[in-house]
Amino acid sequence: MAKDVFQGPLEQVDETCWRIPKSYKPGMRVDGLIFTDETLLPQIKKDQAPEQVANVAFLPGIQYASLAMPDIHWGYGFCIGGVCATDPEEGGVISPGGVGYDINCGVRLMRSNLRLRDVQPHLRSLVDELFRQIPTGAGKSGQYAFHGKELHQLLAEGPRCLVGRGLATPRDIEFTEAHGRLEGADPDLVSERALARGSEQCGTLGSGNHFLEVQVVDEIFDDEAARVMGLEKDMVCVMIHSGSRGLGYQVCDDALHMLRKVPEKYGIVLPDRQLACAPVNSPEGQRYIGAMRAAANFAWCNRQLLMHQAREVFQRIFGRSWQELGMQLVYDVCHNIAKFEEHTVGGKKRRLWVHRKGATRAFPPNHPEIPEAYRKIGQPVIIPGDMGRASWVLVGRPGSMQKTFGTTCHGAGRAMSRTAAVQAAGGRRIDKELEAQGVIARAQSYRGLAEEQPKAYKNVDEVVEVVHKADLSHKVARMRPIGVIKG
Amino acid sequence: MYETFAHTADLGLRIRAPSLDSLFAEAGEALMSIILDDPTTIEPREAWQVQIEGDDLAYLLVDWLNALLYRFDVGHRVYRRFQVQVTPGGLSASAWGEPLDPARHRLQREVKAITYHGLRVEPTEAGWLAEVIVDI
Repeated sequence: MAKDVFQGPLEQVDETCWRIPKSYKPGMRVDGLIFTDETLLPQIKKDQAPEQVANVAFLPGIQYASLAMPDIHWGYGFCIGGVCATDPEEGGVISPGGVGYDINCGVRLMRSNLRLRDVQPHLRSLVDELFRQIPTGAGKSGQYAFHGKELHQLLAEGPRCLVGRGLATPRDIEFTEAHGRLEGADPDLVSERALARGSEQCGTLGSGNHFLEVQVVDEIFDDEAARVMGLEKDMVCVMIHSGSRGLGYQVCDDALHMLRKVPEKYGIVLPDRQLACAPVNSPEGQRYIGAMRAAANFAWCNRQLLMHQAREVFQRIFGRSWQELGMQLVYDVCHNIAKFEEHTVGGKKRRLWVHRKGATRAFPPNHPEIPEAYRKIGQPVIIPGDMGRASWVLVGRPGSMQKTFGTTCHGAGRAMSRTAAVQAAGGRRIDKELEAQGVIARAQSYRGLAEEQPKAYKNVDEVVEVVHKADLSHKVARMRPIGVIKG
Repeated sequence: MYETFAHTADLGLRIRAPSLDSLFAEAGEALMSIILDDPTTIEPREAWQVQIEGDDLAYLLVDWLNALLYRFDVGHRVYRRFQVQVTPGGLSASAWGEPLDPARHRLQREVKAITYHGLRVEPTEAGWLAEVIVDI
């Protein structure tokens, strides 16, 4: 498959938005809208990601527009950075490709009372110990195993069922999106294969772009929001990026298998097999939704256990309890998910299935789904960048409800393919280069590090600039990495 | 004969072979070559057999690679040699390999899934061609 330059129409709407009109392809039900700017636009046109935005506009029941965030890049079926909302009352569909294989891949940020000067002398041993204790990479089982009823409980209830075992606190649950539990999760719809893949992987990081980073708050942009979240300049934090591991991948794969002939059955014409879908109000649609929600709950348990293991390592290295170290969860937010939410379209309130594939919920101040403590500032949005430059904490803004079904970007977005990144590294040791910049990085594979090197990504600062200007979410704090562990 | 090709966030596998049987066998090798740094470190100590039903060749390829991925994820098994017979109703395959041994096998990537995006299995003048993109 050729990585052709996108030749279709892209009409500028305003400073941060470009349109692919629905006249571009017969079959498009709505326009495509890409949030970007003059700086990022040439990069976006380089591959078929805009074509994928147009293809998503074919989905039955799609509302308003097929949307893409500024970190858009070429995915499979849906682009990464894509948002699509469908109305079940208008024959709207649910599409596993609009969620992705890694169901509820997401990010959490934990603060601490430690400052850069407290951590610097111990940084190498801290990162080494995190790398020893936290399972990373493929083919690894974790220190926790959940079978039978216990695994079902994780899938049905999410991390709240870890509270009784001392692996989570009520406060952790409070600051997790949806309290770490999607209602309507049905573990009985999760296949034996998926359960087998998940049973020993809860609390493992995985590979690819997943990471655990020790970061420092580099700059504060919104004093009040930062204060409310407990963030201060020079504070050491831990950011965790992972998802539902093999369990989620298998749930997605099982759904795609089940849906192979389903679009035809319902008379749905699709331009790409990977967009396979079923009407929300169909037995097939409901089966996927029940299993997907269970996988999402599992992902929250995974990130909770990763955080718990990180707390244990900090305790050992600094000789104080994690509570004394102030290692509290700031927020956990997912960026691969479909959720049933209330939005206003054409002046009417409607309940829609919002697919976010590499896109983050960004609810504005006063939204009822935001934890009480954050209600005045808006929902925290955590944007992982690359391991050399920066990550960001943002807050949701009213513009997101008006323009993007309450959504913003999810990361830097890749600028280079994995193959190109390895070629660009040309055998250089990326870990040594990072160390020269003050970042200690540990990974299972040098090739993995080369594929994930900073240059392989767009500059996350530029991506954040767009969503800030578009009023989808505002800057609160910029974080810079000092320690990285990866698969 | 197989090679990888670039796909922004993921990785493509392109396989060419004189017959369908060898195309599927080489697809197995191609998958192992992106999971492990050096698949020649795998010793063919044990055999595993599998039958997969299906009449669509492209879907059959996805199912075959998924079966291998599942063996890796759950049983931590890696394979080096493959023998596949593609029949009108599906395939039967044997694979020879061993349990993953971190002392000898260096992992390079986690393959999350075999996708349907850009999926093709087609006859060519010289035999068969398959392309499949895996999610990393």
